Amino acid sequence: MKVSLSWLKRYVDIDVPVEELCDKMVMAGFEVEEMIDLSKSMRNVVVGKVTKMERHPDSDHMFICQVDCGTGEDVQIVTGAQNVNEGDLVPAALHDSDLPNGMHIKKGKLRGVPSNGMLCSGEELCVTEDDYPGAGVYGIMILKSDAGAPGTDMREVLGLNDYIIDFKITANRPDCQSVLGIAREAAVVLGKPFNEPNPTFKTVGESINDYINVEVKNFDLCPRYYGRVIKNVKIAESPAWMKKCLLAAGMRPISNIVDITNFVMLETGMPMHAFDLRDVKDRKIIVRNAYEGEQITTLDGKEHTLTSDMLVIADGQEPSCIAGIMGGMDSEIKDDTTEIFFECAKFRRDSVRKTARKLGMRTEASGRFERGVDIITVEYAMNRCLQLVDELGAGEVVDGNVDCNAGLPTNRELNVKVSDVVALLGIDISGEKMVEILNSLQIRTTLTDGVLKCFVPSFRDDVEGRADIAEEVMRIYGYDHIKGTAMTGAIMRGRKLPERIKADKIKDTLIANEFNEIATYSFIGSKAIDALKLTEDDARRNAVTILNPLGDEYSTMRTQLVTSMMTVLSTNYSRKVQSARLFELSKVFIPKALPVTEQPEETPALCMGLYGEGEDFFTLKGIVEAVIALFSDMAPAIDRASEPYLHPGRSAVMSVAGKKIATFGEVHPAVAEGYGIDGKVFIAEIDAAVLYGLEKTKTTYKPLPKFPAVERDLALVCDAETPVGVLENAIREGAGKLCEDIKLFDVYQGSQIAEGKKSVAYRVTLRSAEGTLTDEVIDRAVNKMIKKLDAVGATLRS
Amino acid sequence: MKEKLQSLKSEALAAVAAATDEKLLDEVRVKYLGKKGELTAILKQMGSLSPEERPIMGQLVNQAKAELEEAISVAQNGFKTKAAEAKLKAETLDITMPSTPAKKGGLHPLNIVLNDMIDIFQSMGFDVVDGPEVETDYYNFEALNVPQDHPARDMQDTFYLAENLLLRTQTSAAQIRTMETRKPPIKIICPGRVYRADEVDATHSPVFHQIEGLVVDKNITMCDLKGVLEQFAHEIYGKETEVKFRPSFFPFTEPSVEVDVTCSECRGKGCRVCKGSGWIEILGAGMVHPRVLKACGIDPEEYSGFAFGIGLDRLTTTRYKVSDIRLLFENDLRFLKQF
Repeated sequence: MKVSLSWLKRYVDIDVPVEELCDKMVMAGFEVEEMIDLSKSMRNVVVGKVTKMERHPDSDHMFICQVDCGTGEDVQIVTGAQNVNEGDLVPAALHDSDLPNGMHIKKGKLRGVPSNGMLCSGEELCVTEDDYPGAGVYGIMILKSDAGAPGTDMREVLGLNDYIIDFKITANRPDCQSVLGIAREAAVVLGKPFNEPNPTFKTVGESINDYINVEVKNFDLCPRYYGRVIKNVKIAESPAWMKKCLLAAGMRPISNIVDITNFVMLETGMPMHAFDLRDVKDRKIIVRNAYEGEQITTLDGKEHTLTSDMLVIADGQEPSCIAGIMGGMDSEIKDDTTEIFFECAKFRRDSVRKTARKLGMRTEASGRFERGVDIITVEYAMNRCLQLVDELGAGEVVDGNVDCNAGLPTNRELNVKVSDVVALLGIDISGEKMVEILNSLQIRTTLTDGVLKCFVPSFRDDVEGRADIAEEVMRIYGYDHIKGTAMTGAIMRGRKLPERIKADKIKDTLIANEFNEIATYSFIGSKAIDALKLTEDDARRNAVTILNPLGDEYSTMRTQLVTSMMTVLSTNYSRKVQSARLFELSKVFIPKALPVTEQPEETPALCMGLYGEGEDFFTLKGIVEAVIALFSDMAPAIDRASEPYLHPGRSAVMSVAGKKIATFGEVHPAVAEGYGIDGKVFIAEIDAAVLYGLEKTKTTYKPLPKFPAVERDLALVCDAETPVGVLENAIREGAGKLCEDIKLFDVYQGSQIAEGKKSVAYRVTLRSAEGTLTDEVIDRAVNKMIKKLDAVGATLRS
Repeated sequence: MKEKLQSLKSEALAAVAAATDEKLLDEVRVKYLGKKGELTAILKQMGSLSPEERPIMGQLVNQAKAELEEAISVAQNGFKTKAAEAKLKAETLDITMPSTPAKKGGLHPLNIVLNDMIDIFQSMGFDVVDGPEVETDYYNFEALNVPQDHPARDMQDTFYLAENLLLRTQTSAAQIRTMETRKPPIKIICPGRVYRADEVDATHSPVFHQIEGLVVDKNITMCDLKGVLEQFAHEIYGKETEVKFRPSFFPFTEPSVEVDVTCSECRGKGCRVCKGSGWIEILGAGMVHPRVLKACGIDPEEYSGFAFGIGLDRLTTTRYKVSDIRLLFENDLRFLKQF
């Protein structure tokens, strides 16, 4: 809400610097978004009267002017403009002056003739025809004869000795979308009286009923509709003070009647509308829902097709206004308008909002209706409007009003205990002080036996109970009185959810293994998942979509983390980051049914991605095992994966107790290429929910060995296809309890070995907790291993 | 014989002193103390002495032998020390050569800051809870005192998934779920992701993070709210940081305040970061609206509480002076490695 300081001063005696006013308003809940000092841009520019003009001796277009600048002695200024005449009042920038366009003026010589300043054009003063008639001409801006005596500061003439303050109005204070609302608060924070206008006007007899007939068909959407008629309208220019107020608020002055409606809207917060009575067909106003498909051309010349949920103000034949949003072109005020019907109403805020949204319109009026206007202020605003019509001689007020409403509220009564307010705030404020503050805010309050009896005016329908009363008291009393205290009550121990503790454990492990955590958006593009080349019926394609996304690339709630990880890997790869180990532990969104009707399953998922020198399937396998080992003391089982985005020969699935936990491996080269990665890249996806569900049996300390270990090397030959895991299992079974460690140290295929075979070498460490192993025991164990190996087709290499 | 012994001893000691390395020293040892050494030879001649002379002479010889052995040992140690010193000297490194980097990953900066916050609030007795990111209209708006036609709905542009389903616009939704499932005293924080339909730019992201705090108990006051936030501000911004309340509006708290702290950059003097005010806004807070308590089945006549919501992304970018929020979600490893 933009207000000029001078406008506020019409209602409150503001005698503090503007900065102090702003600070106090902020501390009362009105944030200042911007404060503009209009005078700052211009300095030392005055009204000058041209007393004498002569041609410049050495120029065919310049004039030497003697200008009365109120200093007692004429100032000589040379100008090149052709539109100046002796006797004209002009803006004169004196020696050492600043102009709003950034120019700094100093005395000098123009073709040898001294010039002690500059006569200014409208453009040089950043003034347009709208701001000051005549400012738009080519040449010097000629001032009106009543602009001011020579020497008058031009800032005064242009209304620049003022400040514009832009207050941010919170959603609970629609009453402060008005200059009067702001002024009421300013009066309270400054401790000054609030001089609210008390509108009076004279009427000229006759009856409104002879001019118009009003009917409201939908009181739900229009709880109050109020109208008056003006006759003998004289359309003219508005007075300067009113124009100045409008301009400061960012509105363009048009004509007295239109300007009055805008002025009253800004002043009271109530949008007003004026109809040219000539164009109100059948002299009828009907507030009704639009007929489906009905058309209207609004003031801005745009055509709209309406739907039946929209409220219109219609005449006897067709809609002439979209209620609360914009008037129609037909009934707008024209230069020859002579009779006017003024409307002031309250429309339901969500109705206006929905209609405005649907039609893609937003006006000063609709913004106010959407936030809510006060039903009582409707009449006040109308009276203020009539007062101005009367004062400006813009027309004559016909007797009588039309007031269609379904009942008007009275001031609500609230009874609040002083002790309850004190208990909520935690500081001691006396009941008397509360009464004083509330009354200053026009909440009429008395105190009896420790109870505040408050009558809340209808424009403060945000004040509903003791918490609101506490807030009103506190924001005026001052929040700096609130001093921090320590809570009393039971001592509580702060706990994390088990899931967070588990996640932290995973993160610690990954960080120790050189992984960096990433954070990516939870939504991805609708086509993003196609890059993984999943089958058409893959469950991961069933995703929740956003109805109103910012764009397709942010439209789909992800069901997996791989696409996000691949994108990040790709970003780093393309930026020539040599190697990367990244992880993300985040939620994925699994719909229960599509389209969604209930909240999807939000399950935690872990994704790891890596590339770079030294990274291969096995480095990733080691990480996956380490993560699983945090939650399971059972070694995971490994199987080949069949994941379309992974290399078919270099990918695996790990599971514990039959539950699939991890899918990982080298990314399929074709998929990697799709992400712009031409090297090897590895990805693991872990179902964190399943992982968290695993139980690690209590680990107890295992005694350190007392007896020596024995190592035996086994050089084996088997089919090239046999996975080494099979051999390892055979060795482990054969060695039984004595097995301490099995290490694979060589795999060989080539000329020394028969075609289709491979040689595999293991170092087996055997140890007993009971005693030193004898040769006999060792041999027995080795024979058992050989037997088991034999069973899987592996023999000792001869 | 005595004289011979004396001269032999002096001669040997001189030879020890003259030996310049271990090898020469060993030669001296063999020459005098070896099996065929000269001092050994004297011992062998002892038989030719009278029984009276023998012990006296024996003692003298042994004494000379011990003296010589001691001298050799000292000399030997000297050589060893020197050799060790020489070896150390030879092994001297250029310590300004580059190090072998330690291998270490790291948390995302958002989570580094979050973990600090969790530590602070957990130590004050707050439980750390979680809530769903896809919420119903009821939990995100209705129960938080934002009815259908309330203009406050316009304060936040919401992503909708279905008529009644949306991506939560505030972690405050978790307040309701907590109050429905726990009985006072309640003391929780709920960190999490929130979503608003803001176009992406240097200071806006459609995905961001909040930390919601909620306390409900008997006799909770606005001064208690300030007390908790002061503790938090002191931990995050330093002991001398001041906390200031400014009136504001949130539908689910009444009274509502914006909370400013002394600008950490200029310590309140006024600078570019705080736009000259000396204060920076860090969070919104207030006393839980009685209607919200009631909606969760908590009697506002008996209990009161406060709530606050902290923007984690803003806290992170100000702490690390990150000028563009998009860097947080781009995940360039060269960025991530700096934290």
